[in-house]
Amino acid sequence: MSLRFGITLTALTLLCILASVWSISAGAVQISTAEIINTLFNLDGPKQEYIINRSRLPRTLLALVTGGALALSGAIIQALLRNPLASPKIIGINSGAALAVLLGTLFFPDIALRWLPVIAAIGAIAVAVFIFALAELRPISPARLALVGIAVGFTCDAGVDYILVTASTYEFSAPLVWLTGSLWARGWSHLNAVWPALIALSALCLLLSFRLDLIRLGAAQATGLGMNVRLERLILLGLATLLAALSVSVVGVLGFVGLMSPHIARKLVGGVHRGMLPVAMLTGMLLVVLADATGRVILPPIEVSAGILTAIFGAPFFIFILLTSRSEDET
Amino acid sequence: MTGTKTRPSRKSIVILLLLLALIAGGIFSAITGGRSDTGITQLWGVIFTPDSSLPQSVLRDIRLPRTFSAALLGVNLGLAGLALQAITRNPLASPAILGINQGAALGLTLSLIIPGLTGLSPDAMAVAGAMAAGVLTFAIAGGLRGKMDSMRLILGGVAVGAFAYAIVRFSFTLDDELARSVVRWTVGDIGYIRWPQTRWLAIWALAGLLCSFVLAQRFNLMALGQASAQGLGSDPRITLLLGTILAAALAGISVSVAGPIAFVGLVVPHIARIGFGADHRILVPATALTGAALMLLADGLSKWLSAPVETPIGVIAALIGAPWFLWLTLSTKESR
Repeated sequence: MSLRFGITLTALTLLCILASVWSISAGAVQISTAEIINTLFNLDGPKQEYIINRSRLPRTLLALVTGGALALSGAIIQALLRNPLASPKIIGINSGAALAVLLGTLFFPDIALRWLPVIAAIGAIAVAVFIFALAELRPISPARLALVGIAVGFTCDAGVDYILVTASTYEFSAPLVWLTGSLWARGWSHLNAVWPALIALSALCLLLSFRLDLIRLGAAQATGLGMNVRLERLILLGLATLLAALSVSVVGVLGFVGLMSPHIARKLVGGVHRGMLPVAMLTGMLLVVLADATGRVILPPIEVSAGILTAIFGAPFFIFILLTSRSEDET
Repeated sequence: MTGTKTRPSRKSIVILLLLLALIAGGIFSAITGGRSDTGITQLWGVIFTPDSSLPQSVLRDIRLPRTFSAALLGVNLGLAGLALQAITRNPLASPAILGINQGAALGLTLSLIIPGLTGLSPDAMAVAGAMAAGVLTFAIAGGLRGKMDSMRLILGGVAVGAFAYAIVRFSFTLDDELARSVVRWTVGDIGYIRWPQTRWLAIWALAGLLCSFVLAQRFNLMALGQASAQGLGSDPRITLLLGTILAAALAGISVSVAGPIAFVGLVVPHIARIGFGADHRILVPATALTGAALMLLADGLSKWLSAPVETPIGVIAALIGAPWFLWLTLSTKESR
């Protein structure tokens, strides 16, 4: 495993770097690789400081941290709920965060950007508590849990729609773009609002990843090994919820990243979480950077939201998982 | 059947109440809201002493077609939901949940963006898109092999819907002109409907009602289970096909006129079943009436809730329907 794991990790890291360079170079204005390197490392020669520093660089970095966070969140949720269909979007966490942020901006129009992640976290936690309490309190099949999550998501989406159409003044066109899961017009301020927390939480998740493997043995065995399973589950679920919520607070509802990445990672390095989690994180980073950059190059200067692209690829992926997970269905 | 004495009288009371709600809702919807001063007197005037004064023409040309459209959309979507719930034997089935509404929206969008693509009219494209989405969802659920998995049906439908809707939004991004006019349409809005669309909806509602009546007995047999239906000489696959066509046509036309209004098709048959039991021969007219009444009330609410700004009727439907859906997912039995 270790050789395969090492190769995969290196390859994915390289791919992430390549994709990031492409993401910085691609768009309405093409920037050559030489110019990018000159600008980033402050070398002599032709540079493109304005576009790179003001727009493309923070945006690409944001794509990296949120993609990694969403993927980790999805991987943890899938492991804890033992549900291959679960993801922060499917179980409604993302929509809860979106509704909370929208309510926040509605009631406090001049709220500082750095508070939005906090508000998003409150909404996400509310949904998460509901879903996880349900999963704990009574036996519930994986498919049904996904279904309840989708219903919770619909309910939050209805609230989002209501706020959007009844208060659709000029200031509200920004949330509209934001909700489709877009990195459009995201800058340093957004990045600064979330990156310390996201990186800290992600690191914590990676550190705790071996606990997921113990939990996966089953509650009885894990308890036998001296774990407080309930507490550990709660901590991990809390981490997953926060990761998703913080991402949503800056890039909106980027669906299906948290669903796809763990599955791809499992195909690459197998299901052991110690190895799978970092690979999933890198996969998520790669997916979001690619989605964002692709959205920019399809028809410049028009931008296609990254969330639309992830949904176009993610929904068929979900169906594929649905079709191949017969054995876990209706237990 | 061994009819009891109490049942007909209880039913007729419910029907009476429903009709009253329908009429009250209709008047409520026709006279409230808007900038022009119209009231019950003007409504009276349009019927008995028509003239060409401003309040009367507002009522006649703007309010009334809208009111009728709301009712007709309720009929269409309700019947589509009833057919889908019958053929899938799944209480969670409805045009929006199974991705059929979104499929229709995709078909319509394609025909607007690339007008010469298929040579079909926008309406026909909407129906074709609805049909394609429905068949795809049923295929994912295993319905083509004759055994439909209830959970997979719903999850597959949601995924099909998410996919179709992502492409719709993708298309809007490419076409700025379209995108501007379309934000309200995507949540379901009937504020701009005039008589021509209303007539069109009425024709389809009538046809849908007739077809539903014809299929009612098949739906009843479906409820007994596929094997029993087959034993009684009704091929479930044909029922599935006919029901899908019916639902796709009704949902497709509704979407092409008013946008994808979600949850009406889900909620209306449930309400009708509470009042009228499970016999589809009674459920068909009951669902039509319930759908009309509910949508009229929703239309009234859409003008009143955040006046003077109008809340699109699709948002009202979602605000009522989404929690209902949540409750259904929690309360329906785990087994099929």
